[in-house]
Amino acid sequence: METQMFITILISVVQISIVLSLVALSVPLLILMERKVIGFMQSRIGPKRVGPSGMLQTIADGLKLLLKEDIIPDRADKWVFRLAPMIVLVPAFVAFAVVPFSGTGLNVFGQRITPWVTDLNIGILFIIAISSVGVFGIILGGWASNSKYPLLGALRSAAQMVSYEVPLGLALVGGLMWAGTASMVGIVEAQREAHLWFFIPQVVGTVIYFMAGVAETNRAPFDLAEAETELVSGFHTEYSGMRFGLYFIAEYANMLIVAAVATTMFFGGWLRPFPNVSWLAFLDIFNFILPGQWGPFMSGLMWVIIKVSCFIFLYYWIRATFPRYRYDQLMSIGWKWLLPLALANIMGTGALLLWLGQTG
Amino acid sequence: MFRTQEMEINMGPQHPSTHGVLRLKLRLDGERVVDSWPVIGYLHRGIEKLSESKEFIKITPFTDRMDYVCAMSGNLAYLGAVEKLCGIKVPEKAAYIRVIMVELNRIASHLLWLGTHALDIGAMSIFLYGFREREMILDLFEAYCGARLTYNAFRISGVPADLPPGWKEECTGFLKLFRQRHREYEQILTANRIWLKRTKDVGYMDAEHCLALSVTGPVLRAAGVARDLRKDEPYAIYDQLDFDIPVDDGCDTYARYIVRMAEMLQSVHMVEQCLEKMPSEGPLMGMKGRRMKPRKDEEIYFAIEGPRGEQGVYLISDGTDRPYRCKFRNSSFANLQALAPMVQGGLVADVVAIIGTLDIVLGDSDR
Amino acid sequence: MKLTRFIQKLILWELLVGMMVVIRNQFRPKVTVQYPKERIPLRPRFRGVPRLRYDPKTMEELCISCLLCEQICPDDCIAIKWEKAPSGKGRVLKDFIIDYQRCCLCGLCVDPCPTKPLTAIYMSHDYELAGSDRLDLVAGRTDLHEGRTVTIYDK
Repeated sequence: METQMFITILISVVQISIVLSLVALSVPLLILMERKVIGFMQSRIGPKRVGPSGMLQTIADGLKLLLKEDIIPDRADKWVFRLAPMIVLVPAFVAFAVVPFSGTGLNVFGQRITPWVTDLNIGILFIIAISSVGVFGIILGGWASNSKYPLLGALRSAAQMVSYEVPLGLALVGGLMWAGTASMVGIVEAQREAHLWFFIPQVVGTVIYFMAGVAETNRAPFDLAEAETELVSGFHTEYSGMRFGLYFIAEYANMLIVAAVATTMFFGGWLRPFPNVSWLAFLDIFNFILPGQWGPFMSGLMWVIIKVSCFIFLYYWIRATFPRYRYDQLMSIGWKWLLPLALANIMGTGALLLWLGQTG
Repeated sequence: MFRTQEMEINMGPQHPSTHGVLRLKLRLDGERVVDSWPVIGYLHRGIEKLSESKEFIKITPFTDRMDYVCAMSGNLAYLGAVEKLCGIKVPEKAAYIRVIMVELNRIASHLLWLGTHALDIGAMSIFLYGFREREMILDLFEAYCGARLTYNAFRISGVPADLPPGWKEECTGFLKLFRQRHREYEQILTANRIWLKRTKDVGYMDAEHCLALSVTGPVLRAAGVARDLRKDEPYAIYDQLDFDIPVDDGCDTYARYIVRMAEMLQSVHMVEQCLEKMPSEGPLMGMKGRRMKPRKDEEIYFAIEGPRGEQGVYLISDGTDRPYRCKFRNSSFANLQALAPMVQGGLVADVVAIIGTLDIVLGDSDR
Repeated sequence: MKLTRFIQKLILWELLVGMMVVIRNQFRPKVTVQYPKERIPLRPRFRGVPRLRYDPKTMEELCISCLLCEQICPDDCIAIKWEKAPSGKGRVLKDFIIDYQRCCLCGLCVDPCPTKPLTAIYMSHDYELAGSDRLDLVAGRTDLHEGRTVTIYDK
């Protein structure tokens, strides 16, 4: 009994460290890709000097940030100033606990290792709850700097995030109604059983979710809290060195979370397109390349990565194209458009499900 | 229990979007601007005073450095004034070359405005697209006069050199490409709902107030006043060209965007006409030698339509080869006066958009 | 008409058009130039810093010390030292100094230069103007003839 418990804990620790390191490693990759992708879109070539075609640029940047002097402004609230980046970073990583990275687990030494850290039956709720904690980090960071531009940025982000949490959550409700469960794994299983990605009945929900997600992660065109051309860099104006780096990592981790939730909720997680059409089975290439349990595992992982990458690419694409909304306009979109639309979406979904339930 | 307080904030001179070294003191109520004071003079070099101690020809390089975004217009305005003062005729071919350069420079200047204005509002790519095309114009300038920013391309009474071989073809090719690219800019911005929201009804200033503050150029034309010195008081060879003056009566940032975008196409049209009509032979300089003999106690004012508005030069001569007084009426300085009334009551984000829409160059306003 | 516009608005049509423009630009040739490695070819008329030249045939000094360039320079950055020629007619150039710190590359000095067909002073294609010392940028006669030595970063 004792050993069994020990092994369970050990497995969890291993899973957690794998997920953490994966996320932490993918952040430099994301930053590099962003600079490359946006560079290409703008007829530039992006970073080029460090490593082969600039591959090590973000590593170098990270090292530079680590080595920089840790400056805390004289009049800043020192405790809060130090605490704030961590409040942003920790929830961003914690939320990955319930994200399923693939469908089937692995059997190693007779122990089953699932490709998710835990499968909470309130997974979605957990993510929404955890990621809303991150807002405090931004607000506190802006406030603790005791400087004017960060204060403006913090105020903006407080208002923005509070109002976008609501449509973000409500947009997911439509999907939840289709799935009938809030567990992340359960949602994907429901999509397998329903033979369709929930994106198809939930187009409106997906769009609202994505818009709210962009706003939630403070990315263009909703990047008001840092709005470089208006507020210099908003809430992290006074931050430098690795504290700034933590904000930066958290931003990208949050993007990953939004993309992962969208993937799971609306795009069938680890499922290939049209999971019920059997002649499309060749799309799961790893099933044929790798032996035994590794095949399905890697196929699922591949699909998750592909889908998440598409979302991330969309992020970059939008950032490269659009102007930024103004603070009051952002509010009015959130409350006057997204929120009613999300509510209407829930009503519509409910009616549709009721009708389907009666006929089918 | 709660005490609210207005916040004074300092925007610039090292702010990413004050276009150089404009300093703006803002008093904010939350995000709303209650009051604002533009502070200028960080780029003051005393060019007007310096000019009094230099011969006429030596002042031309200074005019490059005033409005460095459209140095060709600066050159033309100054040299036009000197030619008017001394009664020098410019040969037709030289006048054509001057107009080609000035109009190309207007496109380059508007491209820079478009890029930075859009970047201030948050559209990132168009900034680099604008610069990409501007670079092609700068290549053309480099091929003609050898410089890419401070051209010093004209001399008193004419131009120093003919167009280099192959220049016309390169220019025509660029104009053709530019029409396509212009359409792309429009596709990104003109109908974009975010762009519309950010620019419509922002920085409103009607014709009456524009005239009261002596605002000129696209800002005035976007308020519905068809004032353009190229049509009203034609200089060089503008009376031989066929072009329209884009006017819009929106009075806001979006109207100014529309006007400037249309002006770029008009400039393309003008350059095409010039290339076609330009005489292939003919003198380039209207004057032999370098001695200038203006009449004593003569005062003249000569203005051209620069990309930012009326670009005037006021000269007083005392009969020597140096100006007694040289005053530059620069459009950035006059247009900057409109900034404070425009930002009043707007949000911080609007301040940035309004600085962009006024298209100020601080070298121009500080001199 | 109104319906199409409504539908276009609903599906965010104009935003999609803008996004397509950006994507189209992704496949255009890149304009970046990796400066120390690659250089933009200069046009023949490019105006770098002014320099002096010898007569290409006889390899004699072209400059006749007429001081016209010194007079026209708006920044007073040219200083010419000369003395009477031993034959009694004309001048001999002793030294020619251009202060590149002050030079504004306007090219006015080339215009009045009376030597034909090549001007003695000309706008060269040198544009790398960096020095670790102010005096590095004061070019004497040898520098003007042979060009300043510039250490170029070539990694």
